[in-house]
Amino acid sequence: MAEDIAIVAFAQTPSYRSYGDSEASMIMGVVNQIFGDVEIDRYEIDFTIAGSCDYLLGLPFSFIANVDGYGAWPPIYESHVEMDGAWALFEAFVRLQCGDIDSALVVGSGKSSSGVPREIFPLQTDPYVSAPLGLDPVSVAGLQARALLEAGKATERDFAEVVSRSRRDGLSNPHAQVAKDVSVETLLKEPYYASPLRRHDLPPISDVAAAMLIVRGQRARELCEKPVWIRGIDHRIESHHLGLRDLTDSPSSRIAARHLGLDGGSLDVAELCVRYSPEEIVLRQALELGDGTKINPSGGPLCGHPVMATGLTRVIEVARRIRNGEAGRGLGHAASGPALQHNLLCILEGDA
Amino acid sequence: MSEFPVSFTLEYPYTRTPGPVIGPFLTALRDGRILGIRCGGRVLCPPMEFDPDTGETLRPDFVEVGPSGRVESWTWIAEPTRKHPFQEPFAFALVKLDGADTAMAHAVKAAGPEAMSTGMRVTAQFREERAGAVSDVYFVPEDDARDQAIQPGEGEVEITTHLISLTYEGMLHPHNARYAQGLLDGKFIGQRSPVSGKVAIPSRGYDAIACVMLTPADDVELPPTGTVASYTVITPIKYRGQTETESYISATIFLDGSDQSLPMQDIRDIPLDEFRVGMRVRAIFKPPAERNIDAVGNDWMYPTVGDVLERWEPTGEPDVPVEELPETM
Repeated sequence: MAEDIAIVAFAQTPSYRSYGDSEASMIMGVVNQIFGDVEIDRYEIDFTIAGSCDYLLGLPFSFIANVDGYGAWPPIYESHVEMDGAWALFEAFVRLQCGDIDSALVVGSGKSSSGVPREIFPLQTDPYVSAPLGLDPVSVAGLQARALLEAGKATERDFAEVVSRSRRDGLSNPHAQVAKDVSVETLLKEPYYASPLRRHDLPPISDVAAAMLIVRGQRARELCEKPVWIRGIDHRIESHHLGLRDLTDSPSSRIAARHLGLDGGSLDVAELCVRYSPEEIVLRQALELGDGTKINPSGGPLCGHPVMATGLTRVIEVARRIRNGEAGRGLGHAASGPALQHNLLCILEGDA
Repeated sequence: MSEFPVSFTLEYPYTRTPGPVIGPFLTALRDGRILGIRCGGRVLCPPMEFDPDTGETLRPDFVEVGPSGRVESWTWIAEPTRKHPFQEPFAFALVKLDGADTAMAHAVKAAGPEAMSTGMRVTAQFREERAGAVSDVYFVPEDDARDQAIQPGEGEVEITTHLISLTYEGMLHPHNARYAQGLLDGKFIGQRSPVSGKVAIPSRGYDAIACVMLTPADDVELPPTGTVASYTVITPIKYRGQTETESYISATIFLDGSDQSLPMQDIRDIPLDEFRVGMRVRAIFKPPAERNIDAVGNDWMYPTVGDVLERWEPTGEPDVPVEELPETM
C-alpha cells in the first residue's frame, strides 16, 4: 500500500493582465520561491511535470522553453501535459503512488495576453463540426447559461450574485487581477455581451505561473510542519458533442465526487474552476455542496483566469487555507473544455 | 529605453479526410441537405461514427433531417470574433432539427436578440459558395427562410481544409528590447551571468543553469569579431515562399567573449573552399537606416540578429584551434 502524499510547498505569481517577460521567467520565480521555502535541493526532486499550452503564446515548443524555469542541468526526469497544471498534479500523484520515488515538482503556467483566447479555444473542439464555426468557450457558456434559465435552475440574479460575491472576495486575495465591491443591482444593469451573459460573467485574460511540491510519506513531515494531504484525485470527461450533453448538469463531476467519497465528511472549503458565473450554479448542484462549504473564498477564476494554471491555483488556494488553519478538509476543482466538459476533483486534508 | 512591439500570425493549413460518416454529412451539406445517423432508436445530428453510449461502430445508416428545427438554447453574440460565421451580431444556438434527437450547435442569423427565443423554429439556409464544410449552412427564423434551388456538386467530399490562422501581439521582453536596440545601434548586446560568469547572446534574460534572473546591470557589449564554430551549406529546394536560388553557407559563430554561438549566420561573400571552422571573422553592419530588426522576437528557440548585417568577412588573423573554442552553453 502506497504511503500518503502531501503538498509541502506552493507558490503562484499574481494574476497579471500582461506580464512583460517570458513564461519561463514567471516559472523561475515561483519555483525559486518553493526552494526558498523548503529545505530541499532542487536536484533532489525525483520528478518534474508541467502543464502549459503552446497555442497561448503561439510559439511552437514553448513548453520546452519553459523547462528553463525549473532548471534542467544536470538533466532531470521530466514530463509535460498540454493541460491545466491540475492534470500535471494528477500525473505526479499517480506517479508517486508507484512507490519508487518520493517527490515531484508540479508546474502550471500560461500567458494568454498576447493571443486572442476566443479565437484559440475553438481549436479544442471537434475539427469538423465545431471548430470551423469558431464556436468559442464564451459562446458555449452563453448556451449553458440560457439552458439553466430555461430549466428553472438559475436566474440572471443568481449569476450576478456569484460575480458580486467572487469579485468582493477577490479584494482580500493579493493575487487577484480583477476585484471590487459591486452590488448585484449594479451588475444587472450592465448590457449583455453573450446574452444572457454580461461581460462581468466572464473571467479576465491573465498571465500566471504556479508551482507545487508534493512529497510522499515521512519525508513530507520532515520538510514542513503542516503537510496538506492529498486524499484523492479523480477526473472525468463528457462528450465533445454538445447535443449529447445536459448543459444544466455536470455528470462527470458527480461521478468523480462519488469515486472520491466526497460526501464522507464535512467540506470546509471548495475552490471551483468557475470561469463563467453559471458554472458555479451547475457545480454546486452537481456536487451537492451545502451551506457549510465556503465556495471560492479567493474569488476564483472570475478574479483571475490563468489558463493552464487556473485549476492548479484552485488546489493551491485550498491548500493555503488548510495550512493556515481556516479549513480542515477541502475540495479543489479544475475544468477543461467548453461548458465544464472535463472535470477534475482533488480532496485535501490537514492533520486531524 | 525604446519599446518594440511584436506581432505575428501563426498558421497551420490543415487538410483532413472526413471518414465514412462525416464525409457523407459534408457532401450532403454541399448539396443542400442535412444528414443524421441512426443510433439504436434515435437519430444523431451531426452524425457520429460511434454510438456515444457503447462505443460500437455505427452502420452508415443516414437519415435526412431538417431543414427546419427547434432552438433549444441560444446566446446573442454582440461582438463576433474573426472566426465566427458572421461578422455582424448573430446568435449561436443549439438546434434540434426535425427528425433528429440531438441538437447541433450552429449559427442563427436574426434581426436581433428580440427575434430569438428558446423553442422558436428555424430553417437551414445554404451559402452560395459551398466548400463541403459545416459552415456551408446557417439558420434563420423559419419565417425569414427563402426557397433555395441548390445544384448538387460532383463526387464525394473526400478532403476538408481548415486554415488555422492566429494573430499574436505583445512587446519585446526587456532584455530582448535592449538586444534589438543594440543591433539597430550596430552593437552586439549580451548578458553575463553573475553566477557562472558565462556570456550569452542573445540572452534569455536569465541564467538557465543557475536559475537566476539577470538584470540590465548584467548586460555586456561584445565586439563584432568572432570565430566560426560550425557551418553547413544550404542548397535551396523549391517550396512555397522560397526566395533563395543559390547555395550559401549557414554558420554558427562565437563572438569574442561569448559562451554561446550566434546561430545560422548567412555567409555569402566567403568562398566555400576557403571557409572553415576556427576561421576568424568580423561582422559588418549595414548603414543605420537599412538595419531592420522586425524578425527579432521573444522566442529564444529561434534567435536571430534580424537583418542588420551587410556581411561577415575574414579578419585575416590566424585560425583558432578547435579545442580552444568555448564550451558552448
